[in-house]
Amino acid sequence: MDPSPEERDAELDLLLRRGGLTIPPERYPAILLGYREIQAMMPLLRGPRTAASEPAGTYVLDTVTRERAA
Amino acid sequence: MSTPDLHDLPIAEAGQQLRDGSLTSQRLTRHLLDRMATLEPSLHSFVLVTEERAMADATRADAELAAGTDRGPMHGIPYALKDIYDTAGIRTTCHSKLLIENIPAKDSVVAGKLAGAGGVLLGKLATHEFALGGPSFDLPFPPARNPWNTDHITGGSSSGSGAAVAARLVRTAMGSDTGGSIRGPAAYCGTVGLKPTYGLVSRRGVFPLSYTLDHCGPLSASVEDAAITTEIIAGFDASDPASADRPAPNLRKGLRDGVAGLRIGVPRNLYKDAEGLAPATVAALDRMANDLAAAGAVVQEIALPDYALFNACGRVILIAEAYAIHEDNLRSRPLDFGELLLMRMAVGATISAADYIQAQRLRRELSEAVNRVALRQCDLLLTACALGPAPRFADYPADRPGPMHIQTMPFNVTGNPALSMPAGFSDTGLPLSAQLVARPFEEALLLRAGYAVEQIVAAWDTPRSPALLAEAA
Repeated sequence: MDPSPEERDAELDLLLRRGGLTIPPERYPAILLGYREIQAMMPLLRGPRTAASEPAGTYVLDTVTRERAA
Repeated sequence: MSTPDLHDLPIAEAGQQLRDGSLTSQRLTRHLLDRMATLEPSLHSFVLVTEERAMADATRADAELAAGTDRGPMHGIPYALKDIYDTAGIRTTCHSKLLIENIPAKDSVVAGKLAGAGGVLLGKLATHEFALGGPSFDLPFPPARNPWNTDHITGGSSSGSGAAVAARLVRTAMGSDTGGSIRGPAAYCGTVGLKPTYGLVSRRGVFPLSYTLDHCGPLSASVEDAAITTEIIAGFDASDPASADRPAPNLRKGLRDGVAGLRIGVPRNLYKDAEGLAPATVAALDRMANDLAAAGAVVQEIALPDYALFNACGRVILIAEAYAIHEDNLRSRPLDFGELLLMRMAVGATISAADYIQAQRLRRELSEAVNRVALRQCDLLLTACALGPAPRFADYPADRPGPMHIQTMPFNVTGNPALSMPAGFSDTGLPLSAQLVARPFEEALLLRAGYAVEQIVAAWDTPRSPALLAEAA
């Protein structure tokens, strides 16, 4: 359901403040809507995983050194 | 051929005429620039027309071809770049106030390859702001409009690329695809859109949206045009950490070999219950599956993980990585971003490190389901791209990001090559689409199937042109 223009969310406020973001009041309801959509997705990310699912591939040393070699 | 038809010349045919002397690049380029002058006031597909550069490129191409120097199939052929591709000495804005005066010193690798191949740069194309926020009316340039009906959106973020190719201002244009930004506009504008395998095309010098999801690729008027463009831009680039060290592909050799014997899986579970799915899209997909089977393909239904898993995984990674890229400006200059981008991006501040890592772990499992299971049972997938025709601008809420009824994110998550293909028309005369997907680095097979689909769909209907072009004629 769409948030009302006056609705606030304490956790979102905290996270935005911690991130150093200043949000114009008129843009807050849409950000709150997006925040709730993303939060609703979070359980989908969490489930039993195999050892093969560990994300070491985000760091590959070869990709750091190869440019110099090329 | 008379001048009015020049814009319809496929790249290969134009190339033949450039070589036999019946056409010059200068004449072709001039024709397209004149066409732009007529259509652009309604279309807004370009944010910058590089007329002087284009005529200089064309003059050089004519002189080189006349002297026997042949740089290949794009020599003398006009193209355009989404305005997130760096171009040396030419403004590159990302359609944003933040970069309105940005003039890069160097070409992006792709821009350099197209220029080196003798292509003629017509200009820089509209995008959603930083390839994410749009369609918007609070940016330095207006949003591109759909040539089939200018009341309708083009899709994004390669919005200008879709509009310009559909209006035949160019036969091929570069886009980028992080969650569907090539395939979405291709679908809504009725063009071919190829998101190549992650790592096939260098992203160096292209403004990033999400490091691990970004792909560079073409939107083109035909499958063959897309193949020609991709052959030129593909290849290893040591300066792009994601670039794959593989030989450059030959994508045109087997293009006309047909689909006989190919196993094509249809993952209906991905789209059959999706919000926004138009019955006409289902009918087009079913008809395409039947026609592919009649052409000799072995079409079978298969199951993929739920779309919601791909979507959650991709969205969390995209927003987290995009937020990291724009964090400084979001803190210091939030009001210089357009409203839609700020609303989408600010949510990145709420995603934890654990959320991001869990998304990357899920990503490997989803990729395994696609690549180690589904694409072992079959050679290709046929699935939905846009779930229906392009929505109207008026149907998009002004105060929040609008709904995205496209199913492209799964193959940004997995990195597989994916092709958006026109699939007939809605009863309102707007393009419908389908999506083909192949194993990593099997673009040749993907385009071969795309070529077969192109022939199949051509037989469904008499050829149509966008409404805007009829008005302009």
